[in-house]
Amino acid sequence: MQKCTACNLPETYETIEFDENGVCNICRQKDYKDEKINWEKRAQMLAELVEKHRGKYEYDCIVPFSGGKDSTYTLWYLVKKFKVRPLVVQFNHGFMRDTLMENNRRTFKKLGVDVISFTPNWKLVKRLMLETLVRKGDFCWHCHTGIFAYPMHIALKYQVPLIFWGEPSSEYTAYYDYEDEEIECVDETRFNRFINLGITAEDMYGMIKDDYQCDPRELSPYTYPPLRDLKRLKYQSVCLGSFIPWDVKANTKIIQEELGWRGDQVEGMPWDEYSYEKIECSMQGMRDYIKYLKRGYSRVSQMVALDLRNERISKEYGDKLVAEYEGRKPPSLTLFLEYLGISEDQFNHIVAKTVVPPFKPDFDNMEYAPKTHDFDRWYREDEQDQGIIYKAKVE
Amino acid sequence: MIGILDIGLGNIQSVFNAVYENGYDPILVTEPSQLADITHFIMPGVGNFSAVSQQLETLGFTGAIKDFIASGNPTLGICLGMQLLATNSLEGGLSTGLEIISAQVKPINEITELPVPHVGWNEAKFTQQHPIFENIKDCRDFYFVHSYHMACDSSENILAITDYGEPLVCIVAKGNVVGVQFHPEKSQKNGMQLLENFCEWDGVWQPSESAHTIDQQVTNIAV
Repeated sequence: MQKCTACNLPETYETIEFDENGVCNICRQKDYKDEKINWEKRAQMLAELVEKHRGKYEYDCIVPFSGGKDSTYTLWYLVKKFKVRPLVVQFNHGFMRDTLMENNRRTFKKLGVDVISFTPNWKLVKRLMLETLVRKGDFCWHCHTGIFAYPMHIALKYQVPLIFWGEPSSEYTAYYDYEDEEIECVDETRFNRFINLGITAEDMYGMIKDDYQCDPRELSPYTYPPLRDLKRLKYQSVCLGSFIPWDVKANTKIIQEELGWRGDQVEGMPWDEYSYEKIECSMQGMRDYIKYLKRGYSRVSQMVALDLRNERISKEYGDKLVAEYEGRKPPSLTLFLEYLGISEDQFNHIVAKTVVPPFKPDFDNMEYAPKTHDFDRWYREDEQDQGIIYKAKVE
Repeated sequence: MIGILDIGLGNIQSVFNAVYENGYDPILVTEPSQLADITHFIMPGVGNFSAVSQQLETLGFTGAIKDFIASGNPTLGICLGMQLLATNSLEGGLSTGLEIISAQVKPINEITELPVPHVGWNEAKFTQQHPIFENIKDCRDFYFVHSYHMACDSSENILAITDYGEPLVCIVAKGNVVGVQFHPEKSQKNGMQLLENFCEWDGVWQPSESAHTIDQQVTNIAV
């Protein structure tokens, strides 16, 4: 596979393009971010945006919150630097881990904020996971759509027009870039462009209704609210990282010091180097494993790419990490298969159909990654609850 | 209040929906007297210039629209609605327009050999700034369907051109009036933004001082 000569990301990476020197567009975006953006002007825009909305509604803004490093930093920044009164909105995807929950409790108490947490129907979640695994090789549709749609419903219910997300997607992909003074709007266009994997909630209902007993209303947390309602609210849904330069490592250090935020072990990752990334989900190891099977790289490569781009590690060291950790099978695979009621062979068969050429996975020779410290506490289903309850089985 | 001209011709519903989705509550203007109730007026348009201009005359709209425009209220013409702003048109035999903008509407196939109608997405290259361009970048794509184009006498009235083998005028303006050759209601995000900007516009605009120096290509297509 062709790889970026600077950050090593391969040609199977989403939205990647290489220039005549073999350097990828994600690296070029970073150059642009560092050199061309007038961050002073952006900071001023941020201050104006906050002041425009301050004190006018029940809350000054909404902060969608997972408890990972980015949303925690966003909440800390807005509360500490701007002294806003936010409504924190949490969409619980069903796989939140103990350390994360402790972090959240501590963060909410230290910052003194109001919080709404929403957990959708688990039985439906499992059916949604299977559907998008089969169609897209990505079982996280319920999370992608719920995280971005649900807080918008809360914005409408509370009539709070300002919504602050954390990191802009241009840190990782080129659906949006930093060039052209583009401020990434976290709106329905972005939602449909890549968040929802090309499947709207209405589509999804049509896909599952024949075999799964489901009321269309159950899909509403995953449905983007009507544009008209958001327009009448005069909504502004933006990333904090569009206004201040986003530096993951520096941000993490701040929340560790200020909020006692703790990292965690993530399956298949080098635990010493990258303890701060994607700690919010016990299925993260599965997500990375599927990514590896489809595209020939996992989060290890992505994190190494980010560090290479920021000149924080040597290429040699990056290669070593990738060689040692990438492409391991997560112990959570067993749990995952139990949730969906499929065998590993069925799983491999499904994923094989979504592989991105020229990568060819070798399903039979995948070594296991070690179990994380909290593995034994991850939700495991009783035998009678395993798999999905199909209509035929009910009747 | 936003009013959308409805004389039983053309595609009204998609314009109505686009304005509605933007958060407004537009009304359909079927009688000239309704112009008194609105602040912003949109003339959508699909159809034949001479047939539509005759219909406007028959229904008593011609004078009423001219009065509405003279009173300074923001007015937007879309496609044929833009062309109606011209002095006259050759479509369906020489017929008179609303005579707001000094221009003649002519067949596209007089100036280019490319297929007619000019249909699909094409770039709008701005030649002057305007409040309805807020949050819209230069050279973005909009959706076109037309066989006639508006040849303006003065580059002062030209806001944007599009390249269809030859440059065609695709946005015009004069004071409180704007016309777009493409269909903003079918142009996704940028089209929606343009309609929103129009609905928020106070109707004030002056041509830029450098308008007369707009590149030679544009003046080539004047009458």
